[in-house]
Amino acid sequence: MTSVPICDVTELPPGERKIVELEGKSIGVFNIEGKYYAASNTCPHRGGPVCTGRIGNELLADFVGVGLRVKEHFGSNLVLACPWHGWEFNLETGAHLGDSRISLPVYEVTIHDKKLFIEI
Amino acid sequence: MGKYKYRVVDSDAHYMEGLDQLVDYFPEPWKSRMIGGSGKDKASIAGIYPISTGDRSVFGRIQRDEFTEMQRNAGGFTPEIIPDVMEFLGVDAINMLSQKMLTFSRIKGDDERATLLANAYTDYMLDKVVNPDEGIYTMAPLPFQEPKEAVELIDRVSHEKGIIGGCFVTAGPEPPFGNRKYDPIYEAAEANDLPIVFHAGGGGIDEFVSAGYEKFIETHVLGFLMANQSQITSLVIQGIPEKFPNLKIVFQESGVFWIPLMMHRLDTEYLKRQSEAPLLKKKPSEYIKDMYFGIQPLEVPEDLSYLRQVIDMIGGADRLLYASDYPHWDYDPPSAITDLSILSDDEKQRVLAGTAHEVFGI
Repeated sequence: MTSVPICDVTELPPGERKIVELEGKSIGVFNIEGKYYAASNTCPHRGGPVCTGRIGNELLADFVGVGLRVKEHFGSNLVLACPWHGWEFNLETGAHLGDSRISLPVYEVTIHDKKLFIEI
Repeated sequence: MGKYKYRVVDSDAHYMEGLDQLVDYFPEPWKSRMIGGSGKDKASIAGIYPISTGDRSVFGRIQRDEFTEMQRNAGGFTPEIIPDVMEFLGVDAINMLSQKMLTFSRIKGDDERATLLANAYTDYMLDKVVNPDEGIYTMAPLPFQEPKEAVELIDRVSHEKGIIGGCFVTAGPEPPFGNRKYDPIYEAAEANDLPIVFHAGGGGIDEFVSAGYEKFIETHVLGFLMANQSQITSLVIQGIPEKFPNLKIVFQESGVFWIPLMMHRLDTEYLKRQSEAPLLKKKPSEYIKDMYFGIQPLEVPEDLSYLRQVIDMIGGADRLLYASDYPHWDYDPPSAITDLSILSDDEKQRVLAGTAHEVFGI
């Protein structure tokens, strides 16, 4: 595991993302409301640029009663959706929402001296 | 034990009820309507319930002489014919399905008729036909047009030993069976430990192609299959097995090769569109592996290893129920299973009777 510098923290404000090339790998780095995430930009499905996809909250549903419409709502887990075919991954763990045996590599992001590093 | 060295339970044979047999079990004014005003004592079929399409006998090529003989001896399709049918097939127990319910999909405007028929059929069968001591059972046809009435029927007859399931015909329900409007039916079935059997049916299958197919072979190959495909997709994606985890679900009359197709197709789509099935906690195929399937009409490929693979893909022989569909034109005798070299002796016994015992308790 090595710490690889990415950029100054000021270069990745909340709501922004960067796609960087590290050791031959394309990796996405995200700042979501002040919290940093990093994931492989290669979708395990067909190799799509997953880190360019939409980030949202996981859609959940509750069975609230016989004959009643299922209550759908957004949970707190952040989800990254590959723009090619819609495969969705938990941004924190990398697990595919439909099958946790499939996962997108995710990396820890650290800050030293106001710089962002990825632990790779 | 009869013809075979195995105990054999037929999970899908048809009781070819005539409306003249059921007419006394209908309430007025329907009874009078069916008898008609011209002094006839035979109930009018075409005037009340629609009939199916296509010529099953391939215009006289299929001749069911033994069946004609049984009917002649018994004076028609009467309760007395059933022991002869069982002996002919070589089965120890039989689950007779209503013939008339198969055209429920063609009852459009007057949705009361499905409820009337379901109740009359069930009452008639309990009164005159079912006999658990002799291994003769039936299922209550469930009128999908009126879910509340289906629930009442389940609550009324589930305790009867001769009623071993509730049966939905898979052609025709709008919306399909995963919709929440059917929830109360599944809730009642689960509470009464009554399996729900989803059975393909002939009525309305031409309507999948708006102008109809040209030959019945096209209608039959695709129509039955598409009806079951529609319903299993709706059930799984709408999360019926999550809502009612103890509900036993059976599908009948589309053979077995379609099952892995649906498993893999649903899984592939689910990985791309999981947010459209948010009740699911596992992949669609995992729910399908908890369901049961009647074998008929069994596809037997030249290379039997393909069939073995299909059985392995759906979770093994434990998922399968022997079902003849007798006396319909394409019925499978128990030898469809006993002759299969790809099944072990234990697997044959499981398919022929063991699964029926697990599902229906017979």
